[in-house]
Amino acid sequence: MPAPRGLSNVDHSDGALVRRVLAGETDAFAGLVARHRDRCARFAVHMLGNREDAEDAMQEAFLRAFRALRRCEDPEQFGSWLFRILVNRCRTIAARRGRRQRTIVFDDEAVERASVAHPEDRDAWREEIAQALARIDPLQREAFLLRYVEDLGYEEMSRLTGTGISALKMRAKRACDRLRDLLAEVYHA
Amino acid sequence: MPEPGEGGGERDALADVIRTLREPPPIGAEFDARVMNAVRRDRPPGVWARAWEWLGEPRTVAFSPAAGLAMAAGLLLVVAATLRLIDQPTGGGAVAGSAETQDVVNGAARPVAMPAPASAQRIRFVLYARDAGRVALVGDFNGWDASATPLRRAATAGVWTVEVPLVPGRYTYAFLVDGTRWVADPAAPRAVGDDFGTPSSAIQVPATSPGGSSL
Repeated sequence: MPAPRGLSNVDHSDGALVRRVLAGETDAFAGLVARHRDRCARFAVHMLGNREDAEDAMQEAFLRAFRALRRCEDPEQFGSWLFRILVNRCRTIAARRGRRQRTIVFDDEAVERASVAHPEDRDAWREEIAQALARIDPLQREAFLLRYVEDLGYEEMSRLTGTGISALKMRAKRACDRLRDLLAEVYHA
Repeated sequence: MPEPGEGGGERDALADVIRTLREPPPIGAEFDARVMNAVRRDRPPGVWARAWEWLGEPRTVAFSPAAGLAMAAGLLLVVAATLRLIDQPTGGGAVAGSAETQDVVNGAARPVAMPAPASAQRIRFVLYARDAGRVALVGDFNGWDASATPLRRAATAGVWTVEVPLVPGRYTYAFLVDGTRWVADPAAPRAVGDDFGTPSSAIQVPATSPGGSSL
């Protein structure tokens, strides 16, 4: 299929968009936001457990990336660089709001009361998963999401988080074990 | 460790969890507009930093005699107008420099967006990099622009140095060696909460610095 008129000769790669922003074309940043929004949102929502915090983390990450765009050593890898910033923003926001989250997360009785739905009910199932994720140690949750939801390799995860590979494997395994335990009853009900 | 979903014939809850978590997130295109509004309100990367750098750099300026005379005449007119404003008697019988008069004078000066150069201090950055072919200083004060602030070779072999005018505040910076290698300043504390994937250092330029300041 021929390319749409006017777009055939335009380079829309991340690298090209980064270079256009650095040359003063601020609106080109919108292309980067649109391209990477979904992936960032998926991680931030599951990591932080609610949409408001996730949007805060994402907005901070995109703004920090914009301000420090010249520090992006390989513009073609803007997505990986942005994701690293986002992971750190999520850590910061989780720590900032940790006290409030703990109040919710470790209310075991409330979680037990909520565990009555069957996976056939997708909304209820999503809620079960969110509750279970919230009960996992944040570093284990982070490793689980990066490995299995974002499908990153352990080497990339190590570069991204600054954590050793063996520690990341252990965190991901513990997260899997914990999630299986937390969700087994409702899943097989 | 078996991967989720590799558990044989039994339904694996974890595989279903992962499938569910990979579904499209609930944040849509309206988020993009909010980010872009914030971005547009923000300064473009490096623009103000480059402007500040430009103001701080010494340069030779050439004038033709005619242009010089025209500028001098314009300057005289501005000074005369300012003096007239200050000398005008105020309702309270105040003398020059009263609050009312200063409001007018200060009001004229307010549009200057850049910090007053008088508050800037010249900070010297030094790196020992014996094998380097070129070294640049990059930081949030110059928009991380690798071409904005090159270091010069000092008299001592392997020593690179540059002086930068910085207004009081906290800055994050690094050295870029040969255009590819990011090096934090060995003589300064590492920047805290730096999440850009390259090492960097932090410097606090104090509001007052007796006898000048340097690293």
